[in-house]
Amino acid sequence: MGTVQIRNARKAYGAVEVLHGISIDIEDGEFVALVGPSGCGKSTLLRMIAGLEDITGGDILIADRVVNNVAPKDRDIAMVFQNYALYPHMNVRDNMGFALRQRRVPKPEIAERVSAAARILGLEALLDRKPRQLSGGQRQRVAMGRAIVRDPNVFLFDEPLSNLDAKLRVQMRSEIKELHQRLNTTTIYVTHDQIEAMTLADRVVVMNGGVIEQMGPPLELYDRPASLFVAAFIGSPPMNFLSGRLAEGDILLMADGTRLRLPVGDPKRRSEVTVGVRPEHFAVAETGWPAVVSVVEPTGSETQITARIAGQTIRVLVRGRFSAPPETVIHLQVAPEHVHIFDPAPLPDLAELEDVA
Amino acid sequence: MAFMSRTPARQGVAGNRVRIAAGIAVSVIFLFPVFWMVLTSFKHQVDIFTNPPKFLFSPTLETYVEYMTRADINKRLANTIIVAFGSGVFSLLVGAMAGYALARVRIKGAATFGLLILLSRGVPPIALAVPMFLVARKLGLTDKHITLILAYSTFLVPYVMWLMRSFFVSLPRELEESAMIDGCSRYGAFFKIIVPISLPGLISTMIFSMILAWEELLFALVLTNRHATTMPVAIAGIAGDTINGANWAALTAVGTITVVPVVIFALLVQKWLIKGLADGATKG
Ligand SMILES: Nc1ncnc2c1ncn2[C@@H]1O[C@H](COP(=O)(O)OP(=O)(O)O)[C@@H](O)[C@H]1O
Ligand SMILES: [Mg+2]
Repeated sequence: MGTVQIRNARKAYGAVEVLHGISIDIEDGEFVALVGPSGCGKSTLLRMIAGLEDITGGDILIADRVVNNVAPKDRDIAMVFQNYALYPHMNVRDNMGFALRQRRVPKPEIAERVSAAARILGLEALLDRKPRQLSGGQRQRVAMGRAIVRDPNVFLFDEPLSNLDAKLRVQMRSEIKELHQRLNTTTIYVTHDQIEAMTLADRVVVMNGGVIEQMGPPLELYDRPASLFVAAFIGSPPMNFLSGRLAEGDILLMADGTRLRLPVGDPKRRSEVTVGVRPEHFAVAETGWPAVVSVVEPTGSETQITARIAGQTIRVLVRGRFSAPPETVIHLQVAPEHVHIFDPAPLPDLAELEDVA
Repeated sequence: MAFMSRTPARQGVAGNRVRIAAGIAVSVIFLFPVFWMVLTSFKHQVDIFTNPPKFLFSPTLETYVEYMTRADINKRLANTIIVAFGSGVFSLLVGAMAGYALARVRIKGAATFGLLILLSRGVPPIALAVPMFLVARKLGLTDKHITLILAYSTFLVPYVMWLMRSFFVSLPRELEESAMIDGCSRYGAFFKIIVPISLPGLISTMIFSMILAWEELLFALVLTNRHATTMPVAIAGIAGDTINGANWAALTAVGTITVVPVVIFALLVQKWLIKGLADGATKG
């Protein structure tokens, strides 16, 4: 049983607390992605689950057993690191068999399990090579092979694809998904890349500054972001935000006096708000919010329009083709369920997030 | 830069020549005393004191035959080997583990502690030699191999610790973490993963330690008198014995006997030495 329960886990380095009480219940066989900007504490949490960091407060349970004081080797977990951490002095076969040798598994069984894992990952031809004779993608595969021969309760991944180029990353991403569907081992996967999290996971945990912002199935986070942070973080291209004051229940009164009628009202709110709409949820129509076109970028299957509403820049993504000269005024419609109203808050610096990737 | 880019190829060749010439010059300066020692060791007493010095003379093996058949010299050579090997191995074991701890364990004050150990090397050995002798006598440890091995460890362990610390720092932590998840304890991870990866560095460090122990005079002089005496003490004894005038032939012959094993050893392990010095860390 590969369940993992994290109960109000805290972590402090000296006087600085970096995780402020994290609780997650992970079911057997579930694939959970921890996602968030760099420094938000994802790796720290994963390392606490692995036993590589002490737990300052709270409990972590693996397979219904409190493991707070259990050594990493006795937690029945396998971990894949961003730098793979392959043992440089051992060939691929010995790297993959190392954990089994430590557990005194009989030699024939080790050989059998290593070759089974090698077959799954297409590593058969590389078994006698040393790590330095492998490409980045092959090393990544060996690191995964080392994890799967163990057949552990839980797989832990810490940004396993970050050192690969974009193309390989996409390919390995679907391989990881396929592997999970095949083995059904509980997996906790850390990434700063929301696309990776969304495409891989059954459930995404968005972290920010040492707390959980929101957790749920990927599409739930996309459809109903609970905070401005999650709204900005999840989805690509990112959600548009327009700020102003809410008047008369359903009017967004912007700084220059522009009044936008929202398709949904929120009579409870009276003050400053940030309204979010995803680029793909705008429709160009005869009536609606007036926007001034700046740039139109067709890609064939869809067209991206950059425009301004009351001086605030937005992006619009429409299916199919569309053309309009710059400075044309177009009208945008949004369905009520696609309008998100938030209290204003500083936006996460998305440019910085891209840099990390 | 402009000057160099005008004739890059010839500049390169000329630059190389300058470098080679400089290398030879430095080697000559360093090796000349050694050369003179070896040369002198083959001379008859009469040829040694001629002025100007003689480069051409009829060589003799007389001195070598005399000293190499002397039991005390052979015993001292054996002592030197035992002490150098013993202190090399012992300080490597302790120093490497201490260096690993300094590199990895997050304890408040670890860096200060490491620095203090290094600073202890600033104490002049002569200031330590006498207290060390008194302690050794109290423990009944004078004139034993183990005495010198322990005494040498006082400067070899810090040396090994600092060299190996910087080596271990350059290895990614995830290697041991991975091993610890795979079923090792911290010690298991150190001995099964870190030690094999660091072998070139460990071996070259041990070789340097052995050479330092091999040539050490002061502690050997103070802490031993008959049984555990080493070659440097023998040389000092010959140098100090001037009743019949300085015995240069003996001095240089015994000096050569002392140096030759080191040279042979260095040639044997040269591959490791260079690898250890050059690559610093073997990353996967
Ligand atoms: N050994 C450590 N000592 C002190 N602070 C640390 C240590 N490791 C991580 N931190 C801090 O904890 C926070 C979370 O780090 P980390 O879990 O690595 O973030 P992430 O993996 O989400 O990028 C960061 O602010 C980082 O500076
Ligand atoms: Mg991280």
